[in-house]
Amino acid sequence: MLINNPTGLIALSKREITRFLSVATQTLIPPLISTTLFLSIFGLTLGKRIDLSEAGITYLAFIIPGLMTMQAITSSYENASSSLFISRWHNHVQEVLLSPLSYFEMVLGILIGSLTRSAIVITSVLIVSLFFNPMPISHPFVVLYFAIFIPIIFSCCGMLAALWAEDFNMLTMWNTYIIMPCTFLGGVFHPMNLIPEKIRFFTQFNPMYYLVSGMRYGVIGVSDASIVRCMTVAGILAVSVFCLVVYLFKIGYKLRT
Amino acid sequence: MRNSEVAISIQNLSKYYGKFQALKEISFDIMRGSFFGFLGPNGAGKTTTINTVTGLSNYQEGKVRIFGYDVTSEYVRSRPLVGLCAQEFNFDPFLPLHRMLTYQAGYFGLPQKLAEKRADELLDRFQLTEKRNMKYRTLSGGMKKRLLLCRALIHDPEILILDEPTAGCDLELRYHIWDYLRQLNKEGKTIFLTTHYMEEAERLCERIGIIHEGHIVKIGDKKDVLKDQTLEDVFLELTNGK
Repeated sequence: MLINNPTGLIALSKREITRFLSVATQTLIPPLISTTLFLSIFGLTLGKRIDLSEAGITYLAFIIPGLMTMQAITSSYENASSSLFISRWHNHVQEVLLSPLSYFEMVLGILIGSLTRSAIVITSVLIVSLFFNPMPISHPFVVLYFAIFIPIIFSCCGMLAALWAEDFNMLTMWNTYIIMPCTFLGGVFHPMNLIPEKIRFFTQFNPMYYLVSGMRYGVIGVSDASIVRCMTVAGILAVSVFCLVVYLFKIGYKLRT
Repeated sequence: MRNSEVAISIQNLSKYYGKFQALKEISFDIMRGSFFGFLGPNGAGKTTTINTVTGLSNYQEGKVRIFGYDVTSEYVRSRPLVGLCAQEFNFDPFLPLHRMLTYQAGYFGLPQKLAEKRADELLDRFQLTEKRNMKYRTLSGGMKKRLLLCRALIHDPEILILDEPTAGCDLELRYHIWDYLRQLNKEGKTIFLTTHYMEEAERLCERIGIIHEGHIVKIGDKKDVLKDQTLEDVFLELTNGK
């Protein structure tokens, strides 16, 4: 049995969810504000100069899935990294480590908190976006797939960063130097045919490209990459980082002396 | 719980921090229902021993068992049997006391209503009811000590491990905690106590172990350890104190 202590898992998940809900002005409202700004500036003003009529879409519609992906990445990463790092910092992570929760359940509990936050953020971003550009969702199950797997990947990355970091500076490094650049270069705001071919070659090694493309296929039915490849990359990445985090909990990496 | 009369069994336990060996093949058993005092100078290995028993510390050699359950390979079964009252105030600063205790009980599998009832009882027992909706930073030092005890007892463990529980407490609180520990022991709880107060160990414990530089230098029933000496004399003699 993977879950031996469902009550414990519910308690930990509940704690994680309460944690971000209690600071909603920092966790749930900012993604809506930034999405509104991105849609207003890039979508409504600058976007009018970008012609995607060949693909049968507007630029505004094009960036909506990218923004959903970007906000899913940011919220899930921030949630898991801050929760675990702060509990390490104050050493109340011991409350969980002393409990009979299995290492799998510990990671899952933190993950459920991040997934919940991410689900709220993605849904809110989508609702706000539909005010700017009303449109049907092309492939709802594909959207659901990426709305689950993207937060799993980045919640686990957040936990990896939280385990590795010794201070708040180290904690933000991953986001600043790896995640954000890769996300922007992954095609949140631009179709791949607009960038020089030499740079485009490197894009295929950027996992964010597949996540953004997959979400884009789900929302508007158009994608730069094959949807099967996008789903495969997302699935493999999610399972890999999840297993890695569980393993690090098991060996007590920076959790036990 | 396995039908074991040995509550804590430590066999040939060695623990290294890099090249420094903090525990040097220590072995001892603590019997069910006993009140065991574990003494030693600062840095002798008391907290390291506690951390290996509770699973907060990895170790390189030896076996540690709680009522027969290995603390590494059977941690899911061994951990509910132990409550740890840590030395430091390691609480979540953002949670009110009652909610913090309720979550803690939940991790140990207590359903919500039972967890809340248990949290209420313990807050009442340690005179913290008025503070139930406050955060721990608003508490005085003595109150924080009592909160540590509440948290350690929230899941009604068989073994209570106390790492200097009365350090920094005034006399009244110290006596209050002593009375409560005696009562818990009478009810059948096994108690593992580390302290720097010789008087505390002498008054409360029936068995005493002394650790020095990672070695157990003395262990036995209190009367056998003391003979005609005071505990302070025995302690200083064994730990090269002056």
